Amino acid sequence: MNAVRVLTAVCAAVVLALAGCGSGGETGTEKKTHLKLYNDKGAWAQYFKSVGELSQKEIGLSMEPVGYTDEPTYEAFIKASFRTNVKPDLFTWTTGQRMAEIVKEGHIADTTDLWNEAIKNGDLTENLKPYYTIDGKQYCVPLNIAYWVMFYNKKVFDANGLRPPTSWAEFMAAADTLKSKGITPFYHTSVLFSFVWFQQLLVGSDPDLYQRLSEGKAKYTDPGVVKVMELWKSMIDKGYFTDPGDKTEPAAGLKSGKVAMGNWGTWFNTSLTQAGMKPGEDYGMFFIPNENPKGGKTSLLFESGPLCSLDKAPDREASMKYLKWWVGPVAQDKWANSRGDVSGNPKVAIPDPGLQAVTKQAGSNDYALYNRYFEATPAPILTAALDAFGAFVVKPADYRKQLETIQKAADDYWSKKK
Amino acid sequence: MTGTRRWAGVSFLSPSLLLVAVVLYAPFLWTVYLSFTDYDGLRSPTFVGFDNYIRFLEDPALATSVRNTLMWAVGITVLPVAFGLLIAVLSYGLKGGTFYRLPFLLPYALSGAGLAVIWGFILQSGGAANDILGTDISLLQEAPWNTLSLIVAMTWQQAGVNALLFLVGLQSIPKEVAEAAKLDGAGSWGMFRKITWPLLAPLTTVVVGLSLVASLKTFDIVWISTQGGPGRSSETLAVTMYRDAFVAAEFGYGAAVAFSLTIVTGLVSFIYMRRQVRAVS
Repeated sequence: MNAVRVLTAVCAAVVLALAGCGSGGETGTEKKTHLKLYNDKGAWAQYFKSVGELSQKEIGLSMEPVGYTDEPTYEAFIKASFRTNVKPDLFTWTTGQRMAEIVKEGHIADTTDLWNEAIKNGDLTENLKPYYTIDGKQYCVPLNIAYWVMFYNKKVFDANGLRPPTSWAEFMAAADTLKSKGITPFYHTSVLFSFVWFQQLLVGSDPDLYQRLSEGKAKYTDPGVVKVMELWKSMIDKGYFTDPGDKTEPAAGLKSGKVAMGNWGTWFNTSLTQAGMKPGEDYGMFFIPNENPKGGKTSLLFESGPLCSLDKAPDREASMKYLKWWVGPVAQDKWANSRGDVSGNPKVAIPDPGLQAVTKQAGSNDYALYNRYFEATPAPILTAALDAFGAFVVKPADYRKQLETIQKAADDYWSKKK
Repeated sequence: MTGTRRWAGVSFLSPSLLLVAVVLYAPFLWTVYLSFTDYDGLRSPTFVGFDNYIRFLEDPALATSVRNTLMWAVGITVLPVAFGLLIAVLSYGLKGGTFYRLPFLLPYALSGAGLAVIWGFILQSGGAANDILGTDISLLQEAPWNTLSLIVAMTWQQAGVNALLFLVGLQSIPKEVAEAAKLDGAGSWGMFRKITWPLLAPLTTVVVGLSLVASLKTFDIVWISTQGGPGRSSETLAVTMYRDAFVAAEFGYGAAVAFSLTIVTGLVSFIYMRRQVRAVS
């Protein structure tokens, strides 16, 4: 009897353990009609949902967003999913080094054929292709694209007789005018987006140095980078920026007119309209002129977030079918226009004249696109840089120390890569 | 107990034991293992010996992180405990005491994140705190003001619950002892010093012990309000761990910080509890 009792207990334990450790089924063998799109853009849930409803009607595949708001948690989850059976059908990521590392580990589905076909029928453009190309093949498709522009309060500009500047001198003159009238020219922060002015000043003064820095071929302590920090410091010293410790939402600050300008991706359009501002009437946008006009083309920072499928997605065929539909005009029209942003698909008509003008200008020969610093910089260097820039905006005098801190992180990172 | 019966008992316990092993012990051991590796979450971990620990000790940010963690440890074991004791003693036995204590308890209903957001607005440049103080200090932007002001925020939240714990202690003090002391002519201060404080000692040990452990792992309020910045100036060891593991995607290094933090917390708690329990008994 005792032996039976022992056996029963052992069996129960083993069964419970096995049930607890059971897998979610074999990867790649399911046939799905409903896909889950994991993303780090929790605030965009409603826009994802509206596209998900449309896809069900269009291609018989519904889509539900699973949004995260904390980027590091999201990134850790996606990386963990590569080794477990809880795999996303689709997921968002970032271009640059972070995409290259997961592609090189063989986790991401090749989308070369999809790109070739989409470029052929005009749904995607050649100029986007480099951001999605690793070792000659394409991976993922653009979730969104954004150009980094200067948003400005139109009423404040009008009241002070200002117009969007066309040169660095005009840009600084506008800042001086605003400052003299008691209006803070630019928004500033010490958290996350602390890199914004660094990237803008560097790419506008020496785009080649900007590129080399992101590839580990230049140092943060190089004279060109030091010069940029000195320029940034001089702007802070002149009182051009808001107090980085002010937690007022940037859209609210711009709406109130206390701050006249803010440097953001075109996605900031959504925040401004949500804050009740009317495009073209209450606010406008312009491309920031190069600090150093040598070379002709204006440097334009650009970001594109990829939407990816795993190579071992639960239903790879369904995920690829969705990506193909995603880049098409129907999906893109819904996705871009519901958010009030630009689209990677040139066929999509943008009703907002401001955004329309930005897209047209960006596509012209007068501008050279550069990947945003956030994507262009490897994670450990970026983490150190964000901290350092955050410290710099509070204590600008320490700029050399901050550059040395970033360079140390860069040395550590690149030495491991060699 | 016969051998078979013992085995039957162990077998019936085994699902729970297995659960504890899988959910608690395995992650801990995995973290210890990772701390000796170079691991980015993608490629397999590579054994690097004590490199992560050496790097951690050489990291210039470590001094700031340890300094801030010590400030938290001292601040949180002194301020909320002292205020909690004060609230409990002053309101104990008072008519309408519950009414007076209630406002101090309400902040405890807030989550750590909620606390950080509310105090973030109070402490921001041009915020309510500067208005009241008539100053223009960037409280969250400059060290050590950022850590000190967040300790004040935490005190605001924790004092009430400590008061509640002390109240339970006060209620357990035998009335006869207090009455005898009164009859012997003890005043309020004498009563507190000679009767209340010594009899509250076991509870004070627990309250301070819990506060000490909580302070050593301070994370949420710092992460939400300053993300450890600007420039890592308000980082605690727990924030350093999160930053290195998850933000910089250096999981091996982050694991080394986590394990070091565990050792420090365990050691400090052990020494404190052992000394206090000996003193009380």
